[in-house]
Amino acid sequence: MKHSLIKTAGMILLGIGVASLSLAQIAPAPEIDPASGINAIALLSGAVLLIRGRKR
Amino acid sequence: MVSDSVQLGDVALSAKQGRPLWRIASLAGLFAAEVLLISARTPHDALRDAPGLPGLIFSLGAWKVRLLVTLAVIGLLFWQARGKRNLDRISEPPAGAGLAWSWLLAHLSAILLFAGLTFILFVNRPQGAGADFLVVGWIATGVAAIVLAAFAFLPPAFWREALRGTGDVWAYILVLGVGACALAAYATPIWSPLARWTLRLAWVLLRPFVPGLTADPSHMTFGTHSFSVEVAPACSGYEGIGLILAFTTGWLWFFRREWRFPRALLLLPLGVATIWVFNAMRVAGLVLIGVAGAPEIALQGFHSHAGWIAFNIVALGTCLAARRIPWLSIAGGGTAIAERSEPNPVAPYLMPFLGILAAGMVAGLASSNGFEWLYVLRVAAAAAALWYFRDRYRALDWRVGWPAVALGGLVFVIWIALEPLAGSVRTGPPLALTSAPAVARMAWLAFRIIGAVITVPLAEELAFRGFLLRRLVSADFESVVWRTFAWTPFLISSIGFGLLHGDRWLAGSIAGMIYAFAVMRRGKIGEAVAAHAVTNALLAIYVLVTGNWQLW
Repeated sequence: MKHSLIKTAGMILLGIGVASLSLAQIAPAPEIDPASGINAIALLSGAVLLIRGRKR
Repeated sequence: MVSDSVQLGDVALSAKQGRPLWRIASLAGLFAAEVLLISARTPHDALRDAPGLPGLIFSLGAWKVRLLVTLAVIGLLFWQARGKRNLDRISEPPAGAGLAWSWLLAHLSAILLFAGLTFILFVNRPQGAGADFLVVGWIATGVAAIVLAAFAFLPPAFWREALRGTGDVWAYILVLGVGACALAAYATPIWSPLARWTLRLAWVLLRPFVPGLTADPSHMTFGTHSFSVEVAPACSGYEGIGLILAFTTGWLWFFRREWRFPRALLLLPLGVATIWVFNAMRVAGLVLIGVAGAPEIALQGFHSHAGWIAFNIVALGTCLAARRIPWLSIAGGGTAIAERSEPNPVAPYLMPFLGILAAGMVAGLASSNGFEWLYVLRVAAAAAALWYFRDRYRALDWRVGWPAVALGGLVFVIWIALEPLAGSVRTGPPLALTSAPAVARMAWLAFRIIGAVITVPLAEELAFRGFLLRRLVSADFESVVWRTFAWTPFLISSIGFGLLHGDRWLAGSIAGMIYAFAVMRRGKIGEAVAAHAVTNALLAIYVLVTGNWQLW
């Protein structure tokens, strides 16, 4: 169980971490907009959980 | 984790209160509150162009955050690989006799001193050698405050054991973290050539459809006489490439037992190439929209959202498709087909919420001046998912009591009270809305209210309290009793909910905790949905009556 918990938390943290990296840009980031980053990462994390949801 | 939690009467308490995870969460909460309080009153721009160490501190600015986050991500990956056994080990024995009040008092003294020095440094702005000494003292006090707080919540022996247990992993994390940041800084020269290739591909893609299209590689401009854009180095696609590399690496790493290596490593260059092509298509699409007569949408909504949409499509598409290829995936072929034939237990809980997020991104493509005309898409997406899974929701308890209404009101009061911390500026209704015809204005408002009061509470409560809160208790989340309480799922699901609210993350996290309390108090999802709906309804009334549109 702890393994799965760490795995899930890891994926979420990894996603948030990458979003935070984008948020920490010094220069304006025309390709990836930090303002919509959290929603995009949430969508991706949710989709990952959905894909993994079939596995028990 | 199921064994970590207990149910006692109306409110259950965790049996793990004395364990490290809970203490670490408290430590993180304390740091977050302190940083928020200090930084809310700090004029961060004050040190811009300052000479000496203060100026250096300012110029490090975003890199401090970048380094910390990179260290955290790499540390997590290593922890997963080599530190997990140690986490289990140090989690087992009791972590000391409780909170060490003497250390905590020392921490509070240090943090008060740190706040005072911050004020002097950023507000009084001393000059010369004195300023350099002040910066040294400021950093030393900050580090001392962190160490003292760490010792207050967990004894020094715990930290020694944690350091010893992870051996040389710490060295790897530091080297890789610093190396990754340095690499990112020194990789900037490759952006320009990459941007040139992006410009070339975008031009090739668009040339058949747009007469009079020109591209000027010397100035990196691209478009027609009526609308053109400059493809700056930062438009080259490196951000998407970085995100895809991070995601695919994480995916391959976490689910490494399901892939056939080294073949699965092909997903990395495949993902990089695909996202780069998508970025060129994004640039081409931007010019196409601008030339077609909607430059505001091209430069605002489309510009902001297309990159993230491309990233989501490529990231999920690559991994999802690869899972079905037996040559790459051990779980491919027959197993994947068998999986698809069974109903996904997660889908009813997550699909409405994911529908809102996806529709929000699509609606964002067409937004201009920050106003989302297509908000109706969010309502429609959530409503469609809720209708599709309606039979699966019949098993849930939707009954509602008056305490849920009161909790919803409490969240509303907290939300308004914490609004100054969000740093938002009072704004009136969007110009796009006020200048629209009355029918369009009323229709938009109607869908905005329906979304806030009906579809959003349903979708978010199903996702965060119905799924995530219980999923963090057990992989078989449907078997988890709704009244089960455990600190870690309670905090993670609530903070995750809070982060989704951007600058209002603190208010969002507290709201998440109260909604979680609502559902666990009587074991009914309906209680959390009702509380959430009441909060949003009160917020909608507040926005419309007082004109505080920044809350929407």
